[in-house]
Amino acid sequence: MAGNKSQGAKSQGAKSQGKVKVAFFDFACCEGCQLTVIDSLQTHLDLLEAVEIVNFREASSEGRQDYQIAFVEGSITREQDEERLRRIREQADILVALGACAHTAGVNALKNLKPLDEVRQYVYGEHADWYDTYPARPISAVVEVDAFIPGCPIDREEFVEVVKALLVGKKPPIPDYPVCVECKLKGNVCVFHVGKVCMGPVTRAGCGAICPTYGDGCEGCRGLIPNPNENAMEEVLDEAGLTLDEIMDRFTMFNAYRELEAGE
Amino acid sequence: MRLRILPKEEVPRMVQALMADYRVVGPKAKGPKFVFEPITDPSEIRLDYNITILPPKVALQPPQERVARINLEGEVPQPEPLIEAEPTVIFGAHTCDVHALRLLDRAFTADYPDSHYLERRRQTLVISLECLEPCDEHSFCKDMGTLTADEGYDLHLTDIGDAYTVHVGTEAGEAALEKYATTRAATDEDMRRLNEVLSAKWPRFTHRLNFDAAELPSLLATAYDHPIWAELGERCLSCGSCTNVCPTCYCFNMLDTISLTLKEALRIRRWDSCQLDEFARVAGGENFREARAARQRHRFFRKGKWLRERFDTTGCVGCGRCIRACLVNINIVEVFNTIHGSA
Repeated sequence: MAGNKSQGAKSQGAKSQGKVKVAFFDFACCEGCQLTVIDSLQTHLDLLEAVEIVNFREASSEGRQDYQIAFVEGSITREQDEERLRRIREQADILVALGACAHTAGVNALKNLKPLDEVRQYVYGEHADWYDTYPARPISAVVEVDAFIPGCPIDREEFVEVVKALLVGKKPPIPDYPVCVECKLKGNVCVFHVGKVCMGPVTRAGCGAICPTYGDGCEGCRGLIPNPNENAMEEVLDEAGLTLDEIMDRFTMFNAYRELEAGE
Repeated sequence: MRLRILPKEEVPRMVQALMADYRVVGPKAKGPKFVFEPITDPSEIRLDYNITILPPKVALQPPQERVARINLEGEVPQPEPLIEAEPTVIFGAHTCDVHALRLLDRAFTADYPDSHYLERRRQTLVISLECLEPCDEHSFCKDMGTLTADEGYDLHLTDIGDAYTVHVGTEAGEAALEKYATTRAATDEDMRRLNEVLSAKWPRFTHRLNFDAAELPSLLATAYDHPIWAELGERCLSCGSCTNVCPTCYCFNMLDTISLTLKEALRIRRWDSCQLDEFARVAGGENFREARAARQRHRFFRKGKWLRERFDTTGCVGCGRCIRACLVNINIVEVFNTIHGSA
């Protein structure tokens, strides 16, 4: 039965001959997700046995263009970003959004809430005219994306799981359920029960509910789950004593791009 | 009825002695709440706990467990079962949770006996504890008939002041009591105190359902199209907390994780929840229970009707954990009362 052979899946994945060649690229971001990748190379030495990194500016001076999997960190904020991203898309068999900035536009999209001129003035002052910029977008707004790894920053275990799934041609195991699930399975005290607020009920899990596990509310960095009940979540935050502005802040800190798109 | 007396000062010694041969899972404080976790020091056990975040089922069906190792080196994957069981004592389970374990025993024995659950169950002793006070305003054990238990435990403790009476439920319980605890025979005075304690406890628990829980299956049979499901659907966050804290929920999902060398995989079993958007999603993207209202209805029908009909024991034990966990205040007692009120 061919379906039982992992070989069948592999040919669909990026592994044809020898090690799979991967590359890392970045746009508007802090490069913290790539730092997490470098960190995971030290804790999961098998990664370098499994793949060959041919382009990773942050970790290596080598810069080859013969990659099969491209991990892209960062948001798209300029015209010239689009062209560069399209070239990466053309080369890569599989394109993965790495982290919140690439996946949902993350905190970069906070600037979309304000007039662009004001934002440029605030950041660049008298040199505002020197720098080109437009409202931040996730990479999926420009090119087709095959997979995403959420989070600010990404979770290193999840990164490794995604690499493994891609190597065997499977859909990466990114949960569609909320952080509350992982939090409950850990037997955590709900942070709402100790007077704090949390975006866990509507935020995509996969982080192991790390913030509530250490007693802080979830900030929503992994983006919202599919079909979130936003009205109910707003009521929960309202009942917890947040003002309307504070509720909007919770929804827009990492998810401003989505909220603005939904509002249009 | 054979009763022994376990003086309270003997309890830490008993726990210490059990710890030498068993993983002792008991109630411990966690912040302002309580959890069932392996005890590392007898002083951690809090038999004065009200209710735990997760039920003691965690000792028998852990939130996540490895169920098989799969060798991928040959032409065909070679699975090998992994059963991670160890001698365990559940110490201090309240009677609602004892009733819930009885349902789990039936669920994991019916149709496909679950070797993982059953092996853990075989190696587990249950030492239960009589409740003398309601946990809080959310428990409705009296309505669900779980305020006391006649079976389902190996040993059952009742606090009579400076000692516990110990009712021996099984031979395994009797052997454990002899081996690990120093007890004495109950005197007439002990029996008098036990009767006093037991008769004093019942009035402290109030009925919260407006009707007899035995009516639930027939009541729900008429409520499939009740407007309450749409209302709950509007409110529900689909966070899954109600089912994840439920002592009678046992649904799970299977996931495989492969090694980076691609030579071996592990099959993982994790709790799943019918309240999650993806629970009834199948290949091709079709979702058979897409509406939150339909998922809420499913949960209440399971708790009030289907589980009882299938396993001949209550599908809800009235512990109230789902009520405490729900951030949008969906309350199973209110839901059932509303349906009853409009029937």
